[in-house]
Amino acid sequence: MQLLRIDWNVIFTIINLIVLYLALRHFLIGPVTKVMEQRKAMIDGQFADAKKTQDQAADLKKEYEKKLEKAHEESAEILEKARKSAQAEYDSKVNAADEEAGRIIKDAHKAVELERDKTVQELQSEIAVLAVAAAGKVLGEASTKENNQLLYNEFLAKAGGVNDTGSK
Amino acid sequence: MGNLSELLMEELNCETAFTIPVFGGIPVAESVVVTWVIMAVLIVAGIFLGRNLKVENPGKRQIAVETVVGGLHDFFYELLGEDGKRYIPYLMTVGTYIMISNMIGLFGLKSPTKDVGVTGALALMSIVLIEYSGVHQKGAKGFLKSFAEPIPIMLPMNILEVFIRPLSLCMRLFGNILGAFVIMELLKIVAPLLVPIPFSLYFDLFDGFIQAYVFVFLTSLFIKETIE
Repeated sequence: MQLLRIDWNVIFTIINLIVLYLALRHFLIGPVTKVMEQRKAMIDGQFADAKKTQDQAADLKKEYEKKLEKAHEESAEILEKARKSAQAEYDSKVNAADEEAGRIIKDAHKAVELERDKTVQELQSEIAVLAVAAAGKVLGEASTKENNQLLYNEFLAKAGGVNDTGSK
Repeated sequence: MGNLSELLMEELNCETAFTIPVFGGIPVAESVVVTWVIMAVLIVAGIFLGRNLKVENPGKRQIAVETVVGGLHDFFYELLGEDGKRYIPYLMTVGTYIMISNMIGLFGLKSPTKDVGVTGALALMSIVLIEYSGVHQKGAKGFLKSFAEPIPIMLPMNILEVFIRPLSLCMRLFGNILGAFVIMELLKIVAPLLVPIPFSLYFDLFDGFIQAYVFVFLTSLFIKETIE
C-alpha cells in the first residue's frame, strides 16, 4: 500500500513540469502572445496614423478657410480700390473737362475781345481816313499833313466825347 | 464489505508502472506515466495550435486559441501586475496541467494529482518560483531583509511561511483530488450505472477546475506578495 509515496517520482515530475513548461512556452504561449502584441502594436499604430491624418486634415481645412477669408477680403479690397480709382479717374476727367471748357470759353472771350478791339481799331482808322478825307474836302485840297493830323485829333476828341468806344 | 475495502485499497494504491533497471531499480510511478501522456497531448496540441499564427485576418482556430491564452494571460496579469509578467507562462502551463490531471479520471486514467509526489513537486516548484521572484525583484539583500518585514518580530513567521505555503498547496490539491477519487471509486463499485455521472460532473470537472484555479491563484498571489 503506497498511498503516500515520495521518492524519485518527485524528481521525475519536476523534470516533466519543466519540460512541459518550456515546450508550451516555445510552441504555444510565446507565439500567441507575440502575435497578440504585434496586433496590438499594429492597431495602436493605425490609430495614431488615423489621428495624425485627421489632425492634418483639420489643419489644412483651417488653412483653407483662412485663405478663403483672406481672398474675400482681398477681393473686397480690390473692388473698393477699383471703385476709388474709377471715381478718381472720373473726377479728374470731369475736372479736366471743366477746365478745358473754361479755358475754351475764356479763349473764346479773349478772341472775341481781340476781334472786337481789332475791328474797333480798324473802324477807327477807317473813320480817321474818312474823316481826314472829309476834312480835306472841306478845307480844300491843299492841306498839309500836319494839318490833317491836327484835324483828325480834334475830330476824335469831339467824337470821343459823344461816343466813346472804350478803345483805350 | 471486506471485498469493497480491498477493491478501494487497490484503486487508491499508487502503482509503479515500471522500474528502470539502474542503480538497483528506479521505480516509475503510474502518475508519472500519466503525466507523460498529458504532456504528449498538451505539446502536440500546442504545436498544432501555435502554428501559422497571423497578425491580420486570424482564422477561427487562432481566434479560439487567442481567446483562451489571452484570457488566461489577462487573469494572471491582473493578479501579478507588470513586474510579475514573466511568471505568467509558467502559471498558465501549471494551471492547464493540473486541470487536465484532475479531469483525466473521466478518461479512465488515474489523476496524477492524486499522487502526493506530484502535488509535492508542484508545490515545491511553486515555492521555489515564489522565493526566486523575491530575489529577482529585490536582490539577495532586499529579499533577506523582506523576512523581517513589516516588523522584525515577524521573522520566525515569515520563515515558517516558506514551508507552510508549499505544504498547504500540496496537501490541499492532493486531499481534494484523493477525496474526490475515493468517492468516485466507491460510487463506481456500489452503483456502476448512470449514478456516477452527476457526481463525476461535480468531482471530476467542477472540483478539478476549482482546485487548478486555487493552486495557480494562490501561487500568483504569493508571488505578487513577494515582489511587492
